[in-house]
Amino acid sequence: MGEVSHRTEKPLQVNPIRLSQPMGAVLAFLGVDRCMPLMHGGMGCTSFSKVFFTRHFCEPIAIQTTAVTDVTAILDGGDSSIVEAVQNITKKVTPSLIGLHTTGLTETKGDDIRGAAKQVNFPIVYVNTADYEGGMESGWGKTVKAIIEQLVEVRSEVRTDKVVLLPHVSMQPIEVEKLKDFIAMFGLEVVALPDLSTSLDGHLGEKQSTLSSGGVSVEEIFCLGDAGTVISIGASMQFSAEALLKKNPGMQHIHLDHVQGLAATDTLVEKLLAVTGAKLPPLGIVRWRKRLQDVMLDSHFALGQTRVMVAGEPDFIAGACQALSEVGARIGLALSTVDSPQLDSIEAARVMVGDLEDAEKLQAEYDLVIGNVHTETLAHRFGKALVLRGFPCWEVVGNQLKNDLLYEGGAYFLCEAANAAEAGRMNSHGAECRVLSAEG
Amino acid sequence: MANKPKIRELLDESGCAHNKTKTSGCNATVPGATTGGCAFEGAQISLFPYADAAHLVHGPMTCVGASWETRLTRTSWPGRDLTQMGFTTGISINDVVFGGEEKLRASIDYIVEHYAPQAVFVYSTCVTAMIGDDIDAVCRQAQQDHGIPMVPVHAPGFVGSKNLGSRLAGEAVLTNLIGTLEPEVTTPFDINLIGEYNVTGDMWQYTPLLEELGIRVLSTLSGDGRVASIRTAHRAKLNVLVCAKSLISMPRKMQEQYGIPYVSVSFYGKRDTSAGILAIAEALGNADLIGRTRQLIAREEARLEQQLIPYKEIFRGKKAVLNTGGNKSWSIASALQDLGIEVVATSVKKATEVDKEKARQYLGDKGVLMTNPGAQQAKIIDETGADLLLAGGRSLYTAIKKRIAFADVNQEKKKSYGGYAGLLNLAEDLKNALENPVFKNVARRAPWEK
Repeated sequence: MGEVSHRTEKPLQVNPIRLSQPMGAVLAFLGVDRCMPLMHGGMGCTSFSKVFFTRHFCEPIAIQTTAVTDVTAILDGGDSSIVEAVQNITKKVTPSLIGLHTTGLTETKGDDIRGAAKQVNFPIVYVNTADYEGGMESGWGKTVKAIIEQLVEVRSEVRTDKVVLLPHVSMQPIEVEKLKDFIAMFGLEVVALPDLSTSLDGHLGEKQSTLSSGGVSVEEIFCLGDAGTVISIGASMQFSAEALLKKNPGMQHIHLDHVQGLAATDTLVEKLLAVTGAKLPPLGIVRWRKRLQDVMLDSHFALGQTRVMVAGEPDFIAGACQALSEVGARIGLALSTVDSPQLDSIEAARVMVGDLEDAEKLQAEYDLVIGNVHTETLAHRFGKALVLRGFPCWEVVGNQLKNDLLYEGGAYFLCEAANAAEAGRMNSHGAECRVLSAEG
Repeated sequence: MANKPKIRELLDESGCAHNKTKTSGCNATVPGATTGGCAFEGAQISLFPYADAAHLVHGPMTCVGASWETRLTRTSWPGRDLTQMGFTTGISINDVVFGGEEKLRASIDYIVEHYAPQAVFVYSTCVTAMIGDDIDAVCRQAQQDHGIPMVPVHAPGFVGSKNLGSRLAGEAVLTNLIGTLEPEVTTPFDINLIGEYNVTGDMWQYTPLLEELGIRVLSTLSGDGRVASIRTAHRAKLNVLVCAKSLISMPRKMQEQYGIPYVSVSFYGKRDTSAGILAIAEALGNADLIGRTRQLIAREEARLEQQLIPYKEIFRGKKAVLNTGGNKSWSIASALQDLGIEVVATSVKKATEVDKEKARQYLGDKGVLMTNPGAQQAKIIDETGADLLLAGGRSLYTAIKKRIAFADVNQEKKKSYGGYAGLLNLAEDLKNALENPVFKNVARRAPWEK
């Protein structure tokens, strides 16, 4: 194990990769069907988040703002702007749920959103997500926890064939779907919370919706308490799983830090076999495991000579680093947006919370970059190979259809990384040859 | 604090036509029914193109974490392009409780040491404005210690819209930079370009022509801009306001303070480009220059017409519906007409009074000015038999339903449509849109729906 630093020593962030808690909250609410996320803050917080996700998913994003101004920031405790916002939203559309969450501005002035939510005569979930604390991943996690605490009914009976899946924020829509399908293949009924696989998966609907256009329904959320099992993926989802267990003490909890690579997927299969009592997994899964094994062998030569920088949310980098390490790639730098217990278990020469300026200073430590669109400039400047992952990935299409998880996605992921690493070597080798022939 | 701009005064802009009828200025926001960016974003748009200056955002993560490296504003600055970098104090709960001034000062020092910028712009945000950090004092002290301009920008998001933020940014430049340095030489044809951000290199489509005429761009706010140049802006003979109503306060104030006249121009489309270049020459008031300008325009227009011949063949008899915002409601309409496309309707939902007047001028009596394009455009397409819809992504469904060609107006954020050469880019994109069968193909019925 290498060096792990949990906090940055600099006074500022230069070329940040950290994203904010309210943005994580927005995304979580968008995984609930016909929901309207309502950001309690200045209109810019909302506008930035809307543009950010629109560009990442190439989809319209439903979101509204309480539009706090300098005047209301002083005169209003939040209740009047929240009540007015809900009135204005419900004049035009009828959401199944309002997803109320705060920002740095309204946390600084100390608004009581719980009190304000009580004044609203409409289904509403509230959550405190200051953007001067945590990050996108924790904002998502806090929101899921709030949804569970405020909506799920207490139950005592369990349905052993029902599973609640709690995915972390970095799982793209198709990954949520693939994991749901994987679990369902064991004969289990799965409900994901949130479920981006039916809302932001980039499907062409009948018409443009002003609310989230899919996701888990509010009725399904009410009834999550009768599930026999809750599966949480990612350290950020532990609290949400614990909140759900409080709704029904008979529920069992399976936690996985991630589901990337052979070993992690094997663990999930073992646990699912234990849940169902079956001896063997479905044939399709067995086949994909063999394909992954083969890809691991095919890609190990390229990746075994590659040093990698993985940048992103902690739950994502934990999984990606593990999958790459399994085929001998060396993680030169695991760069995390925020601190997390995940960081201590990542196998890397260096694990740190930081920004892309830190990554730039350490550029001699890696050849392949795995990170968001902001790492592209860095990769080009220093001639590194690049695989785009994480938030945001602008200017590319198909982010929601990228699958890196389980046996199947793991195979795709290793192929893409190995090909990128090899192309990168060809390019730098080509450049050297051109220099040599020019000199000769 | 004398340094802080007076917001009420900025909202009551005498250069804006609508302020004669409205009392609330540009500032009204409604909880639950508001779209659009904040004042900070407006300031960022207006000032970030100074690539030789560092732009330090004093606030929590959302402000710059979600917004750095988002706009393709190009620069010829040979040093590191600081426009495309994100600097933020990324304040924590500790700073909220105890104040963020020390952290801000340490951040400025760090930037000066590691990036040697020509200046540092320091942006206040909602949170740091609320907790009362005195960014003026920090900037003043840092400027003394480092000997480069430190410009406080008071445009926290919650004071208003993007538009207001742009004005506040202009105010910061006017107060802190303009008039603080003398140019090495001056010429009788020195101009400032105000509100030109050189997105996708728009500005470079016409500045070579200005140069050819002997017109010197002394400084810009802020496309391909330099801090050292904008400091000398008070010596220009003319301010040229480019397609940007939001910055109108600035040339007006410079006229009052320094006696510099201004003209307002647009460089979208052939007619507007020609009119813009000529307006600059005429305002500079030199007969020889005006003569040479007319010659240059004739030459450029002839060359362009030659290049447009194959496109005009394709566009003949084609009708378009335009759904976009602000000054684009007429500037793009004008460009489309230059290509021989009939514009049957344009959206004026977000346009100012002046923009609406101009849109009416360009479209004539028959053209429809849509005030609620979302509801109107489908019907207008049916009524007019339009062939092309130019709009934002939101209108995709209309194009699919009506099975007509669609062009994303926001492509201009990736590719320049400015000047004469930009019109060729627009023509090529529209040709591709009209020829692309995807909207018809996507609208195919599924076999199980037949």
